[in-house]
Amino acid sequence: MTGPPAPSRATAAAHTDPASRATRAPHAPLAPRAWLVWSLAAVTVALVTDNPVYRGLVALVALNVLLTWLPPGRRVRPLAVAVLVAATLAALINLLAGHTGADVIARLPEWLPLVGGPLTLESLAFGGAIGLGLVAALFSVAPLSLVLEPHDVVDAMPASLERTGIAVATSLNLVSGFGRTFTEVRDAQRMRGWKPAGLRSWNEVLVPVILTAIEDSVRLAEAMEARAFGAGRRTSYAASSFGAREAVVVAAALAAATLFVGLRIAGVAMDWYPYPTISLPPIHPLLVLACLGLALPAFPLPTHRSAAPPGRSA
Amino acid sequence: MALHHAAVDAVVRRRLALLVPAAILAALASLAPVAQAVPACAAAGSHHAALVVEHGDGSIVSRCVAFSTAAISGEELLNRSGVVWSSQTFGGFGAAVCALDGEPAHYVDCPGKDRYWAVFAARGGGSWQLANVGISTLTLHDGDALGVRYVPASGSAAAPVSAAGVCPAAAAPTPRRSVAASTAASTAANSAAESPAAGTTPTTAAAGATTAVATSSARLVGAAATSATYPLSQAPGPAPTGGIDPGLLLAAGVGGGLAGLAILKLVAGRRTGQ
Repeated sequence: MTGPPAPSRATAAAHTDPASRATRAPHAPLAPRAWLVWSLAAVTVALVTDNPVYRGLVALVALNVLLTWLPPGRRVRPLAVAVLVAATLAALINLLAGHTGADVIARLPEWLPLVGGPLTLESLAFGGAIGLGLVAALFSVAPLSLVLEPHDVVDAMPASLERTGIAVATSLNLVSGFGRTFTEVRDAQRMRGWKPAGLRSWNEVLVPVILTAIEDSVRLAEAMEARAFGAGRRTSYAASSFGAREAVVVAAALAAATLFVGLRIAGVAMDWYPYPTISLPPIHPLLVLACLGLALPAFPLPTHRSAAPPGRSA
Repeated sequence: MALHHAAVDAVVRRRLALLVPAAILAALASLAPVAQAVPACAAAGSHHAALVVEHGDGSIVSRCVAFSTAAISGEELLNRSGVVWSSQTFGGFGAAVCALDGEPAHYVDCPGKDRYWAVFAARGGGSWQLANVGISTLTLHDGDALGVRYVPASGSAAAPVSAAGVCPAAAAPTPRRSVAASTAASTAANSAAESPAAGTTPTTAAAGATTAVATSSARLVGAAATSATYPLSQAPGPAPTGGIDPGLLLAAGVGGGLAGLAILKLVAGRRTGQ
């Protein structure tokens, strides 16, 4: 059993140095707090309604934003594959377990426990809507892990939520770190002649990945303790600036979330329920435009902010 | 002692004589708001929305409900119409109609697995559109119509008969047949809606057909409007459903644009080696 190779210098630099990330990005970076508000607003929109159209729009918006801001060395494909698998599973489970609906597309023998009976288009559609909600919600929070650095996420939190922010950032870092380690270990094992042959063969990848994740967690905890974690107010190396661009993004995101929540409280129909006969979801044009407002970060200004802004003392 | 007993008996009798009418009055008073509230509600306001209920056997119950607010929910319209109904709420979807006007008499599943109440709405005298929200979430304005039809669970739900003539303002642009369409019937329907006097029986003209116009049945509480019953063979055909929701078109355009943009970004990312 061997450990993973060390990450390449370029990748490491992209993960740790915000200045280098800003220099290589084709557009000026957004302040972490703007990202946090945007993500929260997008998740709110995705979860406040079960209408698949709005959820689909939020998922597409978040995907565009991710593709626009993805730093070099990070990939959206592993996340997309995982999310699509989860969404497909959700749709399949609802199709097999829910036997309600007018349009029967197939029948399984009644003697089969749980899944036996008619499989309906309505159950498939409702499962698909649930899966789409998963896709939209996970894509919405993905920038916090894929675009921002963990310390950016902590900086974006209000002072009272600093501890929570650190816990969230550490968790998010673990997810992306797990994915990176998996890729690195798999590539390293392949170079040593390993070939995937059945489920059992993946032990040679999964065991090093889990051990590495544990080692990383212990190392992180020790590093945090060595840097006086919890001893007092946290300082930051570089203060992020919150300019007009961030204000516009935040305003559009908050307007979208407020509109969805407000119209829901006002009783405007925005949900979709395909049973007993499937029908088209109700769509409010204003809410479609609100979803479009969330897409503002997907159209960044092409200006350069070549260096990090002056920071506070550490 | 005997004198004392007689006095006590007299007091008891007097009290009973007071108590019995009081109890009867109290019982009547407890019923009175139920019987009067529906017509009073139905009569209030200058806006009208039609209700068409089509039973599984083809019999029709139609009502014109008046309201003073700018809009009314489908649930409120059903309540004001006086038609007895029950529902089950499904989260954000709203309430689904489980039983309506005594059909089904008993149920276990809601919506029913064999037949269920399909809810339709016709906007401004237009054609029926299958409602994609619950009846509690459905909003109706002046001139709109709410249609509820007991349909088989298999296949697509057929729309109920046209709401033309049920309310003067809810007349369809091209009525398929004269359903209570005569001026007299319309006027009577309207006046019945505005007046708390229950049991108005307007004359209904159906070409060459004997159309039975029924007053409120025992199941209907406080008839506030016309209630017409048609034989199955003479029931008007379903109005055509159709039309594309402009909101859906906008969503399709925006979604297509975003998907195209994502593909372009993916292709550009591959070219730059990201």
